[in-house]
Formats: sequence, structure tokens, C-alpha cells
Amino acid sequence: MEVIWFVLFAVLLAGYFALEGFDLGVGLLLPLLGRTREGRDRMVAAMAPYVLANEVWLVAVAGTLFGVYPLLEGEVLFKLYPLVVAMLLSWILRDAGLWFRRRLDGFRWRGFWDAMIAFGSLGLSFGWGMTIHAAATGFAGPVVHPVGVMLGAVVTLLFAFHGWTFLAWRAPGVFGASRSGRALVVSGVVAAVPAVGVLVGAMPYLLANSAPAATLNVLSVMVLPFAPIVLGAQVWVWRTFRPGKDAVQLPSFF
Amino acid sequence: MDVLELARTQFAVTGSLHFLFVVLTLGLAPLVAIMNTRWAISGKPLHEAMTRFWGQIYVVNYALGIVTGLVMEFQFGLSWSGLSHYAGDVFGAPLAMETLVAFFLESTFLGLWIFGWGRLPKWAHLACIWLVTLTAYASAFYIMLANSFLQNPVGSVARGDRLELVDFGALLTNKSLIFSFPHVIGAGLFTGAMVLVGASAYQLRRRTEHVEFFTRSLRTGVVAAALGIFVTIGFGYAQFAGLQDGKFSDNVGAALPLGLMIEFGQLLALVVLFVMLPMVAVLPRWRWTHPLLMLMTPLPFVLAIMGWLAREVGRQPWMIWEKLTVADAMSPGLTSGMVTASLVGFAGVLGLLAVVDYVLIARIVRRGPRDVALGAVPAGETRSPALSY
Repeated sequence: MEVIWFVLFAVLLAGYFALEGFDLGVGLLLPLLGRTREGRDRMVAAMAPYVLANEVWLVAVAGTLFGVYPLLEGEVLFKLYPLVVAMLLSWILRDAGLWFRRRLDGFRWRGFWDAMIAFGSLGLSFGWGMTIHAAATGFAGPVVHPVGVMLGAVVTLLFAFHGWTFLAWRAPGVFGASRSGRALVVSGVVAAVPAVGVLVGAMPYLLANSAPAATLNVLSVMVLPFAPIVLGAQVWVWRTFRPGKDAVQLPSFF
Repeated sequence: MDVLELARTQFAVTGSLHFLFVVLTLGLAPLVAIMNTRWAISGKPLHEAMTRFWGQIYVVNYALGIVTGLVMEFQFGLSWSGLSHYAGDVFGAPLAMETLVAFFLESTFLGLWIFGWGRLPKWAHLACIWLVTLTAYASAFYIMLANSFLQNPVGSVARGDRLELVDFGALLTNKSLIFSFPHVIGAGLFTGAMVLVGASAYQLRRRTEHVEFFTRSLRTGVVAAALGIFVTIGFGYAQFAGLQDGKFSDNVGAALPLGLMIEFGQLLALVVLFVMLPMVAVLPRWRWTHPLLMLMTPLPFVLAIMGWLAREVGRQPWMIWEKLTVADAMSPGLTSGMVTASLVGFAGVLGLLAVVDYVLIARIVRRGPRDVALGAVPAGETRSPALSY
């Protein structure tokens, strides 16, 4: 049972990197590729239908952490206190930017929220690199460590590349390049490498600190039957919002 | 303030902000789903316009529900790691279920509903908003299940210095849960319905050109508000059957909001059930009543917060009733500086965003059903003519 829940936890975290990675990447590229207001509108429109289905993977990671690894949940989050607060604020500003940017027409209004999307995406991407460094070193050192900062830059670049590949897949030619679905899968796998690496290293520790069998049994009975529905809903999103010329049609809600 | 009070303040501020938006989400979701169903069956532009207009208010409100909810989820680990250390094997399970089977699906289906407009087949699109409603209710159920465990820790035994889960069925049938969950659902419906009433009254008072639109919306709101407050009050009083001993006797901080909620709740129930409901046919035309209806709109929000204050302050000084104190649940090593910094960050950012969100909702209400962004037809595409009813 511990192994099943470890696999589920690993899939959720790696899935978050592979999926939300391109949303954050598009956010990072917003000031670079989106020189005009319409260009930024089209970039956001390309990723908009996926965001709600992607960011929720991290919510599920946190829930699983609490349910399956309750002792680690308090320990890990508390040891990374300033980092977690900064990443939460980044996430909040990114989401607010997406939801608010088109609610008013003003040039400055949209420019401000676009900046928040880019800023929030940067904070989250960088934070993930630092979090992975902290996890890999057993949360022993200071939260801000030169290697952690370097890893933050690496994750940021990986996400930016993944975001660029996503745009080239969803809207071929609109932002310059065209990429196939296979290229998107590859860049997704690459984006998930840091998460997978730390999960492999932490596997023995996670397995040893799983919640007792009584808790895991209840969780399995209550959650696992829904797994096909959750997966089906995700597949439905990808089938509904396929690439094409209507991918960047305006107006989009975000 | 010492570090404990700061951490409690942070939870109270972010939790209250979260519920202000969640209570409206819970109420508007089924109402928008019903409007969408009418549209799917009738195909009438009026029903489409209602779905889009009230749906737009619903999703703009939803944004703040998400961002405040993120802070709630991570706050347990940040400030209250003593809770997960002592009771994580029990308390963590419902929170994991909430994220994995409720919110995961809710977020996915909401994305499909918003961005699948005009792209998904009619009935598949309709199914999405009903699934959003269903999973929102499931989400509320699991959160209430977790909270009820704090109020009345059933289904678990202490082994060493930790609680162990022995009977999940007891958590599902917790006497603190079975009446509080429908109470919350009723309160949500009442709140959402009163927003329909207040916003429609505002437009009708201003002699809107969309008379039929807001007449129908106001009537829907009055009927739903009557149903909502009936459920809320019924299950509100039923909760006294399962109350902890002495919860409100020596606790002014809990007894006062409880008293206010009951008094004003009853008054509102009398007005809704015995004045507004019988007058539902004429209310849209009686313009002198509209300012009063508008004034009533914020009251359900205030009462909902009063309800939470009564429930949670009444639990003090316990985090888990007679098992773990709030002081012991705090993360060991938490300092005033840490909590102050995060409190300023969260309260400042979320507070500002909440104000922006309410201004945006007010603007949607003021502009009425023309040029609604939700479900807008992309340039160069034609769909059914909008707003020609």
C-alpha cells in the first residue's frame, strides 16, 4: 500500500512539473515573446484552457502530502517557511493576473496583471529549484543556498523551454516555430526531471514515513475508485483543446 | 501580540476571506447550473444571457476562492505542524480526499466549462457545470468532515503521543458533521440567491432595459433564498443536539457571534419566508422595495462569518476538542517575526485582491448582461444571435 501511494505521490509531483511547467513557462516568456498587447493576449489564450486543470496537480500534491506523509508535511513546509510563503504569494499573483487581466480594458490594467503573471511565474519556477535543492540536501542547510539559486535558474530555463515548445505545438507558426506533439512530450519529460530526481532520492525515506496501514486503506477505498474519472477528465481537456488556428482566438476568458 | 495570537489571527483572517468567496461559490454554482439547464432545453437567448451574466459573476468570485484556498491548505504545515504531528493520520485523510477527488475534478471541469463554451457539445458543456456543482459540494463535505473531527474527535484512539484512525465510518457520521454540512450548503444557497435578488433589484430600480431578464432573476433569487434559509435555520437549530458541553457558556467571543447569527438569521427568515416569498409576483414591479432588497444583500455574508466565529472560537482553547490545545498545535520554533511577515504578506495581498474582486463584480452588475466576457463569441465566428429576446 505504501508503494501504491508513493507512486501516486510521485506521479502527481512529476505531473505538476510536466503540465504546470508549460503554463509557468508561457508566463515567463510573456515579456519576451509578447511584445505587443495582442501578442500577449494570444499567448495567454493558448494556455488558458489548461491552467485550471494543470495547477490543481500541486493542490493534490499538498493534499497527498498531508494524508499520506503527515509527519513530513508539517516538517517540510515549516523548514521551508520563507520559501513556501514566497512561492504561495507568487502563485496567488500569477493566478490573479490570469483571472483579472481581461476584466477591464485599460492598457495599464492589462499591462500590470501581465507583469504579475510573469513575476509570479518567475517566483514559482525559481522557488521550485530552491525547494528541490533543499529536499535533496535533507533540509539541513539554509533555505537560500548558492546551489539552490543555480538550480532555480535551471528549473526556470527548463520551464521557459517547455512553455516555448507548448506555444509552438498549440499555435504552430504564430510565435515563430512549430513543434509536434512528440516534441511537447519530450520537453514535458525534461521539465519533470528535477522532480523525478528528488523523488527517486527520497523514496526510501517517504516509504518509511508513510501513514499507518489503517489510514492508507481508508484513503485507498475513498480515492482510488475515482482515479479513472480524474484521469478521464484530464484526457477530456487535452482532447477538447487541440492545436489549430482557433487555439489563439480572441477574446479568450483569460 | 504573541506568536500564538499572531498565528491564530492569520488563520482567522485568511479563513474568513476564503469563506466569504466560497459561500457565494457554493450558492451560485447550482443556480448557474439550473440557468444553463434551462438554456440547454429551451435554446432561448434569454436563458443564454442569464447563464453568461450570472456565470460571469460566479467565475470572477471563484478566482478569490482559489487563491485564498491555496493559503489555507499550506497554512496547516506552516503554522500548525503540531496538528499534523499529533493527528495527521486521521485529520490528513479527509483533506487528501478533498484535494484528490473533489477539488481536482472541480477545477478541471470548471476549466472545461469556461473555455469549452461553443466548443463542447451542448449537453457535455451542461454536464460540466453540474459536475462543478457536485464536486464543490463534495469539497465542502470533506472540509466539514475534517473540521467536525476537530470539534468532536471520533473514530480515533491515542497511541503513544499520536492519534490513530480506527473507524472512518464514525467520522462520516460524526454528530458535528451531519447537521453542519447541510447548514453550510443552505447558507451558501441563501447567499447566492440574495446576490441574485440584490443585483436584480439594483438594475430594476435603475429602470434597466433588460426588464424580463432581471424580473426572472429576482424571482429565481427569492424562491432560492426561501429554500436556502429554510434549510439553514432548520439544520442550524438541529446542531444544538450534537454540541460539545459548555461550548458557549463561558466564552463571550463565541456566544456573541452565535447570538447575532441566530437573531438576525431569524429576522431574515421571517422577511424572506413571510414577506418576500408571498410577494414574489409583485416585487419586481414595486420599486420602493428595491433599495431594501439591496441593503439585505451583504447580510448573509456577515452571518456566515458569524457562524464560523461561533464554531471556531467556541472550540478554544482546543485545536482538537479535549485532546490537543491550539498552543500545542502550533509549529515548534515558530517566531513572531515569521508570522508577522507572512501575515502582512497574505493579508495585504489577499485583502487587496478581495477588494479588486468585489469592485469587478460590482462593475459586472452595473453594466448588466451586455458584453459579458464569459462565453463571448470569438472574432470571425458566428453563433446564435445574442440578446435579441
